[in-house]
Amino acid sequence: MARMAEPVAESVIEVRDVSTTLGGRSIHRGLSLSVARGEVIALIGGSGTGKSVLLREIIGLLRPRTGSIDLFGQSVLDSSGEQMNLLRRRFGVLFQDGALFSSLTVEDNVATPLFEHTNLPHAICRQLARLKLALVGLAPDVAARQPSTLSGGMRKRVALARALALDPELLFLDEPTSGLDPISARAFDALIRLLADSLGLTVFLVTHDLDTLFSIIDRVIVLADGRVLGSGTVAELRHIDDPWLNDYFAARASEGETRHGT
Amino acid sequence: MTAAHADFDEARSTLIVSGDWHADTASVLPPLDGKTVRVIDGAGVTRLDTNGAWLLLNAVRPQAGAPLPALQAFQPRHRAILELVDRHSAASAAQPEHRCENVLASAGRGALTMATHALGLLDFVGRLFAELLTLLGKPGSWRWREFASQVSLVFVGAIPIVISMMFLLGVVFAYLLGDQAKQYGANIFVVDGLLLAILREISPIIVAVLVAGRTGAAITAQLGTMKVTEEIDALTTLGLSPLAVLVIPRMLALLLAMPLLVFIGDIAGIAGGMLVAQLQLDISYSMFLDRVQDVIQLKTLLVGLGKTPVFAMFIALIACRMGLSVTRDARSVGVNTTSTVVQSLVAIIILNAIFVVMFVRLDI
Repeated sequence: MARMAEPVAESVIEVRDVSTTLGGRSIHRGLSLSVARGEVIALIGGSGTGKSVLLREIIGLLRPRTGSIDLFGQSVLDSSGEQMNLLRRRFGVLFQDGALFSSLTVEDNVATPLFEHTNLPHAICRQLARLKLALVGLAPDVAARQPSTLSGGMRKRVALARALALDPELLFLDEPTSGLDPISARAFDALIRLLADSLGLTVFLVTHDLDTLFSIIDRVIVLADGRVLGSGTVAELRHIDDPWLNDYFAARASEGETRHGT
Repeated sequence: MTAAHADFDEARSTLIVSGDWHADTASVLPPLDGKTVRVIDGAGVTRLDTNGAWLLLNAVRPQAGAPLPALQAFQPRHRAILELVDRHSAASAAQPEHRCENVLASAGRGALTMATHALGLLDFVGRLFAELLTLLGKPGSWRWREFASQVSLVFVGAIPIVISMMFLLGVVFAYLLGDQAKQYGANIFVVDGLLLAILREISPIIVAVLVAGRTGAAITAQLGTMKVTEEIDALTTLGLSPLAVLVIPRMLALLLAMPLLVFIGDIAGIAGGMLVAQLQLDISYSMFLDRVQDVIQLKTLLVGLGKTPVFAMFIALIACRMGLSVTRDARSVGVNTTSTVVQSLVAIIILNAIFVVMFVRLDI
C-alpha cells in the first residue's frame, strides 16, 4: 500500500489563499493546500475551523470571499455552468448523512447520475448501478428497497455507490464514518481504501475519526485558525506542538503508536 | 482523449479494443452476432473505468457467468479493473423483484390506509383530550408564549389576505346580484341578499378554506420537519409532551383566530358590497347601512360565526395529526402536507352541509 505522498505528482486539488467570511465571522484566512493524484487525504481540525465549509467551497457549493480553487487544473470559481457540470462528472461526493433521494429506490438512486449524464439505455444504467452496489459490498436484494428502510451503514454504502456511479477520479467524503458503530466504521474505511487502490481514486475526506487516520490515510491536513497548521503523515504531525493537536492525539497516545505502520 | 474503438478479428477470435472506455464512449462495439470472443487484446486502451469495463464484458459475454475471455496485453491496472468488475458482474445481472400490484390489491391497500387514518385520528383526539384534562389541573404548564406566537402567525398574518379576498368577493357578489335586481327595480334588496350570503356562508367557508391552505399546511410541514429532524423525540425524552407543547397551543390559537378572521371577513365583504351598491345601484352608504340595521338579525351573524370554531377544530386536528405522523423521509412531509389540505377541505364542505341541514331543520 502506498503510504507516502508522491513528491510532485499532478495536482488534483489546488487551493490558494482562500479567505472566507460567513455571517460576519472569519472562517478561513489565506488558506492554501494541494492534493496530488492518487493520494488519500484526511482534513482534520477542531469544531468550527471550517472543514466542511472548505469542502463545500472545493466542490462549488459555496464561494470563498477571495482566493482561488482549482480542480484538475481548472478553476472552480471562474467556470461557467457548462464547464462546471463537466467538472462535476469527474468527482463524486458522499454527504454526511448519505443524502439519498428518499423518493427513489436504492437502485434508482445509484443510477440517477447515469440516467442524467450518459446516453446509455435505462436498463443498462440499472445494471451498472447494481454493479456499483456489489462493489460497495451490498447484497443484490438491497437494490429494490427504499432508502428509509436501510440502516446507517447501508445508507453510507449506497451513497458511496452513487458517488462512484460515473467512475469519478476524485472522491470527496464528509465524515464518512460518523454515526456508524466501530465495526461498520472500520469496514467502511477498508472499503474506501480498497476502492481507492483498485480504481486509482484520489480521496479527500473530512473526519474526526482517529481510527480512520491511523488505518487508511496517506496524508493528514490539519486546519486551525483559518489556515493549514500542518500536513503530513500521522507520525509527522505528532511533532507539531499545538494544544488542540496534542489533545487530539493524547486520546490515542499509546494505542496509536502500536497501530501506526501496520 | 481518444474515442473508444473495437475491431473483431475473426481468424483469431480476438477483439481488439483501444481508446478511452467509459460510460459515454463505450457504445461503439461492432455487432458480434453470437460469435465467440476468445481473446480481448487491450494494448491500445488508454483509459478504462468500471462502467467501460462492464460495458465491454457485457458485450462479449451475452450471458452472465460465461467464462471471461483471455485478457491480452492490457495494462496491469486495466486488467485489475476488468477482473474486479468480472467478480461482481453476477450481481448486476440479478433482476431484483419489482413488485407490481394489481388494481384490487391497491384498492385494498387504499381502503386499509383510510381506515388506519380514521382510527389514528380517533386515537389522536382521545390522547389530546386526555392531555387537555391533565393540563386543566395544572394552569402553570400552559404554553402561553407558544400560544401567543401562534396567534400572531395564524391571525395577524392572515388579516391582509382575508380582507382583500373577502372585499373582492363582496364586490363580485353585489355586482352580479345587483345586475339582476336592477331589472326588477329591486335595488335595495341587494343588501339583504348580500348580507345573508356573506355572513352565513361565504365568509365562514372562504376563511376556513384559506386557513386550511395557509395555516393547516404550515402546521403539518413544520411538525413534520420537526419529526424528521427528531425534535419531537427530543421533546419526549425531555419529559415534555409534544401534545401539550406543540399541538394544544396551535389548536387554541386556531380556535381563537378563526371566528375573529371570519368577522373581519364579514366586514370586508360588506364593505365591498357597499362600494358596488353606491357605484352601480345608486344606494348611498347611509342608505345601505340603514338597510343593514333593518334587515340583519343577530342570529344571521351568529350562525356564520358559530360554525367557525368547529372548522378550526377540525383543521387543527387534521394538520397536527398529519404532521406528527410523518415518517423519516423528505417525501413524507410533502405527502402529508397535501393530505392535510385535502382532508381539511373535504371536512369543511361536509361539516358545512351538515350545519345547513341542521339549521334549516331547527328553523334557525
